[in-house]
Amino acid sequence: MRVKLFATLKEKAGAPEIVLQGAVSTVAEVRQRIAEQYPHLAALAARSIVAVNHQFAFDADPVRPEDEVALFPPVSGGAA
Amino acid sequence: MSAETPTLIEITHAPIDLNALQRAITTPRDGAVVLFTGTVRGQTGELETVQLEYEAYTEMALAKLRQVAEEMRARFPLIHGIALVQRIGTMDVGEPTVAVAVSAGHRGDGAFEAARYGIDRLKQIVPIWKKEVRPDGSAWVEGDYMPTARD
Repeated sequence: MRVKLFATLKEKAGAPEIVLQGAVSTVAEVRQRIAEQYPHLAALAARSIVAVNHQFAFDADPVRPEDEVALFPPVSGGAA
Repeated sequence: MSAETPTLIEITHAPIDLNALQRAITTPRDGAVVLFTGTVRGQTGELETVQLEYEAYTEMALAKLRQVAEEMRARFPLIHGIALVQRIGTMDVGEPTVAVAVSAGHRGDGAFEAARYGIDRLKQIVPIWKKEVRPDGSAWVEGDYMPTARD
């Protein structure tokens, strides 16, 4: 499963996406796999937001192989 | 985009043309347009900012901007036009980075309140991040809003 990264996470990973090995069926498992397979991202990932198919997603939410999954920090756009 | 209640949603690299924005959402029924812009602030207390760099998760940001517009219409049913435009890329001090515009028949029809709601909501749920470029280096600005299932 591919996971898109943004802002600090993208910078820390040095790439706009990472690939998780093994089956993933929930958002909680996405977080767990990232911590296992990309330990240097684990601390940041723990306080990041997961989106599935452009909507915010939470630990119990399902993830299917065809879903677009993204991980990013709390947003900081809007007015400067 | 309905002619009576136009909605303009955009993530763009180009400078925001505020006059074009106003024209795009003003209908013959409108007598009031409220326009908010966020700009690159050069000084925050003692801290100096040279530029801001904006990054977006564009596909999701467009979806969430549409959601913000729907929420504005649900809360302020008398408003007519809505524009929500975010510029991304590198911007200098004084440049508009984001614009929220709302048109209505009269200024008392919720246009001010809807614009305020729109920018506040944009800052909570639209996936856009900014990096401050300072004289001594650069750093991502951390947001603090954690979305819930209702967002």
